[in-house]
Amino acid sequence: MTMSFRKSLLAASVSLAALLGAPVLAQEATFVFATNEVGAPTYNPIKATNLNAATTLIFDRMVSQAADLSYHPWLAESWEEAPDGMSWVFHLKPGVTFHNGEPFNAETVKAWLELFKGSENAYMAEAIASVEVVDDLTVKFVMSRPEPNLLYNFSSSYMSVVEPKSYAALGDNYGVTEVYGTGPFKLESFAVGQETVLVRNEDYKWGSPLAKNQGPAHIARLTFREIAEDSTAFLELKTGGVDMLLGVPADLLAEVQKEANLAVLTLPGQDVYYMPINVTKPPFDDIRVREAAAKAINQDEILASVFGGVGSVAHTFLIDALPESHVADSAKISYDPVRAAAALDEAGWVMGADGVRAKDGQPLKVSLWTQSDSSFRRLTEVVQAQLKAVGIEAEITTFDSSMIRDQYKTGEQQLAVRSYNWDNADIVDWFLGGDRLGYPNVSMFNDPKAEELRAAAMTGAKNMDERVKNFTAYHEYVLTQFPVAPIYQPVTSVGYNSERLAMPAELNAPSVGAIAIMDMEVKE
Amino acid sequence: MISYLIRRVLMLVPVFLAVSVIIFLILHFIPGDPIDNLLKVGSSPAARAEMEARYGLDRPLPVQYAIWLGKVLTGDLGTAIVARRPVLDMIAQALPHSLRLGGLALLFSSVMGIGLGVVAALNRDRWPDRAIMGGVLLGSTMPSFWLGLILMLVFSVWLGWFPVSGARSWTALVLPVLTIGLGGTALVARITRVAMIEAAGKDFVMLLHAKGLSPLRIQLRHVLRHALIPVVTILALRIGWILGGAVTVEVVFARPGLGTLLIKSLSQHDYPVVQACLLMLAMAVMLGTLLGDLLQAAMDPRVRAALA
Repeated sequence: MTMSFRKSLLAASVSLAALLGAPVLAQEATFVFATNEVGAPTYNPIKATNLNAATTLIFDRMVSQAADLSYHPWLAESWEEAPDGMSWVFHLKPGVTFHNGEPFNAETVKAWLELFKGSENAYMAEAIASVEVVDDLTVKFVMSRPEPNLLYNFSSSYMSVVEPKSYAALGDNYGVTEVYGTGPFKLESFAVGQETVLVRNEDYKWGSPLAKNQGPAHIARLTFREIAEDSTAFLELKTGGVDMLLGVPADLLAEVQKEANLAVLTLPGQDVYYMPINVTKPPFDDIRVREAAAKAINQDEILASVFGGVGSVAHTFLIDALPESHVADSAKISYDPVRAAAALDEAGWVMGADGVRAKDGQPLKVSLWTQSDSSFRRLTEVVQAQLKAVGIEAEITTFDSSMIRDQYKTGEQQLAVRSYNWDNADIVDWFLGGDRLGYPNVSMFNDPKAEELRAAAMTGAKNMDERVKNFTAYHEYVLTQFPVAPIYQPVTSVGYNSERLAMPAELNAPSVGAIAIMDMEVKE
Repeated sequence: MISYLIRRVLMLVPVFLAVSVIIFLILHFIPGDPIDNLLKVGSSPAARAEMEARYGLDRPLPVQYAIWLGKVLTGDLGTAIVARRPVLDMIAQALPHSLRLGGLALLFSSVMGIGLGVVAALNRDRWPDRAIMGGVLLGSTMPSFWLGLILMLVFSVWLGWFPVSGARSWTALVLPVLTIGLGGTALVARITRVAMIEAAGKDFVMLLHAKGLSPLRIQLRHVLRHALIPVVTILALRIGWILGGAVTVEVVFARPGLGTLLIKSLSQHDYPVVQACLLMLAMAVMLGTLLGDLLQAAMDPRVRAALA
């Protein structure tokens, strides 16, 4: 009697504990944004200049992008492009609704694209002259010019599909206090610079086909924290305070790997480290000296010694995943000390007894700028040593990261070491276009033939294949003029608690966003 | 006393103006501007010029300053350029967190500092004095971000007593309060000790001894009260410094507050926000100084007499 009473008491307390404990443990997770996403002020994609990873969960996009940067359906099931590139027809997925109950259809697409006019991100939709509603789920874009980059724009988080009615009603508060998308998660709360809490959208069943799970998500409640200090974020991960860091800095990677309960997920990166060469500043107005400096860079040695073999070397200005990076082998820039020495000899710079070349009594001394972050300083010191090996003496000057852009605008730089993060070939135009000298065009590169090729690449292509061809030609020509020396492509490292989170076996996405998180589960 | 108060408050006006000019100029002379943080890959050079005009950044600096000051004086802190929301809202969200952290740290350093200072003074040149003063030296020389990380490692990672970072619970306040408070404790303890020792050598103390009061009673009732005058002044002065000192600690512990807001806005060159944050910190220092002077006047009969 007593025994059975005890048993039932025990059973009752166990089930009570399960009841009480269940909501706490069940499918709740805390992630930490990568430090470059800390402080993103709004979830309004139309006005934002910096959006964080949570944006990809609140909103869906028309088009999704796979790990190889190819385009796949999402809210658009299929699309056709006119042969002359002057119109596109998109077929929309049926049965999609926004978080506030509004339907997603051709009318909402039209109203949404209207919102871009006069906004910060207007250029993303500016090639679309007008939007025609063909039927409820078919929409036609009449173009003012061919825009082969349209699919890229539609896959960008800046073209996340927002709900137009609430957008108009909320005004400046849209994305700050409230936000409505069609995504797998709804915004519960947002404290800028601190944390964002998302809850699962139970109605969601229209996820990207690139994820195994099209919805609803396994994780029910997701908190994103913003931690600016890397070591603090690492200690949170280590002690189980958080479950995932969306960006693990290179110098903490080994620490994460050491811990038994932590694991690292590696994704292809979207950064390129490179050395801009100011083509207007002697001695680099001589293309042979530029070639020598570029070919003095030993990318393999840098990969091994500075980055511990993690990532890959860069031989062009674009990340390897982009088709436009496939230029002729002769245009790729690789370590070639023999050619570097020969080019300097040809240019009249003779090796001196002190290991520094000279011409007309002037030593080959140049300035080498970089930003104050420790990873840049380490890399730049190696670059300095490699330049010295071919007889170029470079003096390093470091600037605060937030101020170096204005230093570049003076045009006084000779060499610099920097990096960018982008996944489209139009970055060549941004950093080497003749109308942005100083910054972003740190190389001060303004070459008539390059400008011609640039125009053809930016606006001259009728379709995607042509755009790839034109951009490849532009990129290839630019590389032969040596305004930059490519150095290194990092990977993105995500650190997570492997006792808490079950990762999908395969991840077909360029970064950890909606596609990856749809397939993640909290271990219970 | 009233006229002294009015004089002291009026003196704050030129100080405020000077501080506002300095804040404005330093910020605008730092290379870089907020527009760089608004431009994305692909935007045209014309977009840049248009944005500069929209935020009035193309106007001469004195004009920009006059507009800003005029608005500030009417309580309008403007709208953040990069963060795109009223600066007042941002400050209103951040300030309570900073005040809570700073207030608790000040309380901690007052209680601990005065206590340790008294113990050290009572045991002058014996081992408790040496131990306390040694610890105080260590505490006052440790940079707060480093101390913060060490406390985090010991109490959160090894012992698991407190959360590593954030502001979700009261327990998350303990380590940041300790980090800021320990530095203040050192200062207060040193000043209390010196003031106690100095006061103990005064004539009135000898008189009290002659009257036959117990030494401990003399120390705690009379010497300490006398010694507290400089201590209270220093504590009031620290009000401003505590908020300023919280900047790095807030960042290390990933807490909301003026510090994290200031650092983030500074890296984005978000002028209106940085200006407002710096103005808040400067005003905290100014008001702390005022409070220190007034307290001194109220507590010290000699100052009171001189003012009358």
